[in-house]
Amino acid sequence: MHRIASELRYRLRALLRNGEMEAELDDELRFHLDRHAEKLMAAGLPRREAERQARIAFGGVARIKEDARAAWGLALFETTLQDLRCTVRALRKRRDLTFGIVATLALGIGANATMFGIVDRLLVRAPATMLDPERVHRVYLHTSPDGEAATDRNLAFPRYLDVARGTSSFDVVAAFQTRQVGVGEGATLREVPVTVASAAFFDLFAARPALGRFFTAAEDVVPEGSPVVVLGHAFWQSHFGGRRDVLGQPLRVDRLTATIVGVAPEGFVGMADQGVPAAYVPITAFAHSLRGPDYAGGYGWSWLELVARRKPGVPLATAEADLTQALGRSWRAAAEQDPGWGSAEDARPRGELAPVHVQRGPDATADSRVATWIAGVALVALLVACANVANLLLARAHGRRREIAMRIALGVSRGRLLRHLAMESLVLALLGGGAGLLLAEWGGGALRRLFLPEEAAAVVLADGRTLLFAGGLTLLVALLTGLLPILHSRRTDLADAFRAGMGEGQDRRSRASAGLLVLQTTLSVLLLVGAGLFVRSLHNLLSLRLGYDVDPVLFAAANPRGVELSDAETAGLNRRLLAAAQAMPGVRSAALAASVPFWSNEGRGLWVEGIDEVGKRGSFVLQAATPGYFETLGTRILRGRAFDERDGERSPRVVVVSDGMARALWPGRDPLGRCLRIGEPDAPCTTVIGIAEHVRSRDLFDAREHSYTIPASQYGSPMYPQLFVRAEGDAAALVEPLRRRLQREMPGAAYVRVLTLRSLVDPNLRAWRFGAVMFTAFGGLTLALAAIGLYSLLEVSAARRRRELGVRVALGASTRDVVRLIVTHGLRLVLLGVALGGALALWAAPSLESLMVHESVRDPLVYGVVAALLLAAALLASIAPAWRALRLDPTLALRAD
Amino acid sequence: MGERFDLPQGTLDLLILRVVALQPMHGWAISERLHEVSHATLTIPQGSLYPALHRLERRGWIEAEWGESENNRRAKFYRLTASGRQQLARETAAWKKLTTAVELVLAMR
Repeated sequence: MHRIASELRYRLRALLRNGEMEAELDDELRFHLDRHAEKLMAAGLPRREAERQARIAFGGVARIKEDARAAWGLALFETTLQDLRCTVRALRKRRDLTFGIVATLALGIGANATMFGIVDRLLVRAPATMLDPERVHRVYLHTSPDGEAATDRNLAFPRYLDVARGTSSFDVVAAFQTRQVGVGEGATLREVPVTVASAAFFDLFAARPALGRFFTAAEDVVPEGSPVVVLGHAFWQSHFGGRRDVLGQPLRVDRLTATIVGVAPEGFVGMADQGVPAAYVPITAFAHSLRGPDYAGGYGWSWLELVARRKPGVPLATAEADLTQALGRSWRAAAEQDPGWGSAEDARPRGELAPVHVQRGPDATADSRVATWIAGVALVALLVACANVANLLLARAHGRRREIAMRIALGVSRGRLLRHLAMESLVLALLGGGAGLLLAEWGGGALRRLFLPEEAAAVVLADGRTLLFAGGLTLLVALLTGLLPILHSRRTDLADAFRAGMGEGQDRRSRASAGLLVLQTTLSVLLLVGAGLFVRSLHNLLSLRLGYDVDPVLFAAANPRGVELSDAETAGLNRRLLAAAQAMPGVRSAALAASVPFWSNEGRGLWVEGIDEVGKRGSFVLQAATPGYFETLGTRILRGRAFDERDGERSPRVVVVSDGMARALWPGRDPLGRCLRIGEPDAPCTTVIGIAEHVRSRDLFDAREHSYTIPASQYGSPMYPQLFVRAEGDAAALVEPLRRRLQREMPGAAYVRVLTLRSLVDPNLRAWRFGAVMFTAFGGLTLALAAIGLYSLLEVSAARRRRELGVRVALGASTRDVVRLIVTHGLRLVLLGVALGGALALWAAPSLESLMVHESVRDPLVYGVVAALLLAAALLASIAPAWRALRLDPTLALRAD
Repeated sequence: MGERFDLPQGTLDLLILRVVALQPMHGWAISERLHEVSHATLTIPQGSLYPALHRLERRGWIEAEWGESENNRRAKFYRLTASGRQQLARETAAWKKLTTAVELVLAMR
């Protein structure tokens, strides 16, 4: 080891201080010659003769200096440098070609680096500074009440205590929730992500506070903890200018006024899955400020996520059994409090310890699967790009065949030649890799925001893992693109290369090119089929009737934020908000509502005569709304009527049920006029007065999910101040004016937020939208590359066959014959690729099954369109070569060779 | 002066290491010493010494230092390093083995 290091030092010196080494060599040799001449002179020779003889005895100085330099170990370096210079010269000479290749590779490598970063964060990389992430688990609760399996990641506070106290397999059990809350006051108020956490949360990480301290277990005790807050580093920088005197200052976090006790270190983002937290507050203090002391005893408010770390040496199965036991006891405790939970024997609560990443847990969304697919797609696209570049380099290597043969004949070693060729692909790959990383850094931001909305800080250039991946990929690209030209030139036969006319190397080369082209076509088909399936799924999803209009509707919610309002004041606020919204220009209608799709839903117990357990017939979402609700949302009333001003607090209770609900509860019978008891088994009858269309408000695909709507006047308590607004024109343009208008009605520190309904619905479509866009982009790219590849192949082969074509034309071949000759050549290759790609796609498609929306993975339409697209591209690529062949003058063609 | 031999391939390194093992020496002195000790039997073009010296230095078997020569001029002195001493032992052993083997073959009847 030491020897290698010292040798490296020597070589480095030779490299970097070359001038010094040269001067020393001169001095050393001059000394030798002088010293020898001195000796000869001492023996009696005259000076000039002595110097002459010294030089003879010494040998050729230039040669010896050359050998000495070689001994410095720089030969490899120098020839490499020569190769590099030569390569750069060659690449600069063909700027267009070089640019094309580098751009192709940059796109490929950039896309791969971006997708790697995304998939790595979604599925592989543990949150920053987490200790022993392989022992850290998210806790899931599986139950099967009503025979329906349910999985829960959000648990109530007492449930957390039951797990923390009732288990012995874990050294840390922490609970947390990251939620959007208003932080600050007045003009500086911002709605930002805040992590509400138990004190043990910080024990999961190796992070030390940048300033002050984290909060302790003593500050997180039932019932009201201590009002303390730890700032996130980025928030500290952006809102407090990184000032060190923030410690001890008060900060309003939602309803809690807390004292700043510390600042988290840079890069610390907690569990990193719902945004970069601006602040961390103790659960007890926060929950108490929000809901009073009840939070600590009741099992109804399921809001916390649990993270547990196994003690070292405790096997997963043991820990899981321990957890399940604790959850069982917890369930019985809850059932004792409220029999509505059902017996533990029925519910069979079971704990699961899943990996830290939500996307690897039992309730992963389609996002991670789509991201993984797209990462694979990016890799395939890169392969296609490599094939194209290999083809271009192959063509060039072939074009230089005689030059290469000449150099071999002149004694350049083959090894040296191969190094030269390898250098060319390496330089191209490095340029592509570098440009790709820049592309990923600046252009990949949009992609990352789609999949990792939480990690605004997810960068490329500053991320070691992504850089390493991109570096490895670049070398792989160099290898893939360089291999074929190198293999080809290894077999260059001197005599063959010098022989005039068409050698057999030509055929070998075009066989290799044709092989690459078939590969490209195959992969294009694969990607385009994927694109087609995703586009169709997205189309089906977008044309899915949700039971309401999405685009023209806005949603406004007030956050009282600690302002205590009496029922009468809430009712007054609701009236004022509704009136203000209805009077706004650009607003068609508005209505207060209790449930908001994909945001918050309310449910109550239902009892219907003749049905044992209504819950077994589906899940029923309660909506309560003011008159005008159905017009505002665009929900159609299929039969009967909607409620209106006549259905007041004291009038008979009425309800509009969804079509599906009517069929689930009264199959085959007329639902109008039926009696529904809401909330209590002996509640007064609520009469069904209308049937509305099916509404999807929690899950896009769950057919068992139904909804029923009652008038706000019969809701029983004042409605939470939130409302829907239907815009006349562009809903997005109305967001800010509406917010400003409604904010004027808000008392004290309370504030209002306005969102488009689209922004609530869209995250549920995001996986498909993204899949469709990315598959199509990469599919299109590979198709273009394949078409270009085919074009150049046909060009070259037509040029090669000029003489043959000339003879054919001279012998009377018709235009059609010549065109057919060229076109069928390309078509044959593409057809082969289409067949192979189609077979491959059929084989691989079932793994996409779970992501398809009302779409068969064997949809013949998709396969047909893709095949037609490729054939069209093949024809397009054949036009120019065929045209050139047609205009061939036989006499010229024959004379040329 | 009797017969003169060209040096067998690769033995120059061994000889240089052996000579330098005595004391730090500059290139010319090494060449003179080789000439003397071999009773002028070995012909070594003086210049060819230098690429070999530089190679040995790169390998870390000898190290160089500029110092004052016997005629009061700046000269580059080479000295054997610890790993050079090991290398010398290895090569000497290998050489002895080779010559013994060759002698055995030549001595057969």
